[in-house]
Amino acid sequence: MPAEARPSLGSIALTFATIAATSFGGGQKASIRRQVLARGWIDSDRFLEGLEIAQVLPGPNLLNLAIYCGQKARGVPGAVAAFAGVSIPPFAIVLAAGALYFKFASNPFVHGGLRGCAAGALGLTLGNALELTWDERKSWLSIALVFATALAVSLLHMPLLPVLAIFGGAGILGEWLRARKRTEA
Amino acid sequence: MGTLIHLLSVFSQLSILGFGGGKGIIPQMHTDAVTTYRWVSSEQFTQFYTIGKLVPGPTTIFAALIGYAALPQRPLLGAAVATAAMFVPSSLMMIGFDSLEARFAASPWRAIVSRGLAPAIVGLVWSSVSTIARGAPSSVAAYVTSAVVVGLMLRTKINAPLLILLSGGVGVALLR
Repeated sequence: MPAEARPSLGSIALTFATIAATSFGGGQKASIRRQVLARGWIDSDRFLEGLEIAQVLPGPNLLNLAIYCGQKARGVPGAVAAFAGVSIPPFAIVLAAGALYFKFASNPFVHGGLRGCAAGALGLTLGNALELTWDERKSWLSIALVFATALAVSLLHMPLLPVLAIFGGAGILGEWLRARKRTEA
Repeated sequence: MGTLIHLLSVFSQLSILGFGGGKGIIPQMHTDAVTTYRWVSSEQFTQFYTIGKLVPGPTTIFAALIGYAALPQRPLLGAAVATAAMFVPSSLMMIGFDSLEARFAASPWRAIVSRGLAPAIVGLVWSSVSTIARGAPSSVAAYVTSAVVVGLMLRTKINAPLLILLSGGVGVALLR
């Protein structure tokens, strides 16, 4: 495939729009990687760097990663094109779903279907919580923070900002001390 | 006008606090949209979240549906404002980070911050489970459906939207 080191803004938007519109349940990172590397917008090291930043900063990973790639290819206009590409198709699709929802949600069959879907989404969220907790199993401090956070939010209704400041801050402090111990050893 | 300003303020704050890909913001979003402003019911909140998981793109796009419901006279405007507030602030941070990138290149801080925040995000995902459960059907059939989905998700590669649709099929048959 020919490298287009300076792609048009339209081609950036269209590339990410296609990925966003067809990203059902994961696999988007791999398809972004394939597309941007094949087109020569960014090299492989840069891409991995971008993936890391996209995951550290707030915001959906897919959107952040697309912005990073768009910006590397064409600067701020490229980032804006990537933003438009990732957000517009899902917005249009969710609006269509919303219009149908408000029209038909009271139909008993649709209502039953929605309740079933909700039970499914609850299962996915629970499965996600289990998987993510399993990833933290190597450190007792992490496991303690997981459950302290959940209790503070669900039982004490602590707002998000203090939750991130206190429990996120404690986690960052723990990681920092651990990293320091590693470098001293 | 008041509602628009509240939508902007609620979703832009969630945007800036959306670490971990936005997985941790669901409980706060429920507090704001259901308890504080009463834009939607708990059942609607759970169903909108479900639609967010069902459609392609980031799950948090369901902010659009909350905006849609919050402004019944101008639903499209409500949806657009909520979505912009949800996505623009975090995106601006991402764009702005570019100029700082050189300073943070290969910096150990990136790994320290992302690994350090992870336990709090996971705790917030557990709280999201209880948030979403509040608006999900409570019957034996529904609980069994959720449990089967957990098992299929952890043991097979069936993708998430398909699992939701299969659960919807169960719902049409059993949860009317």
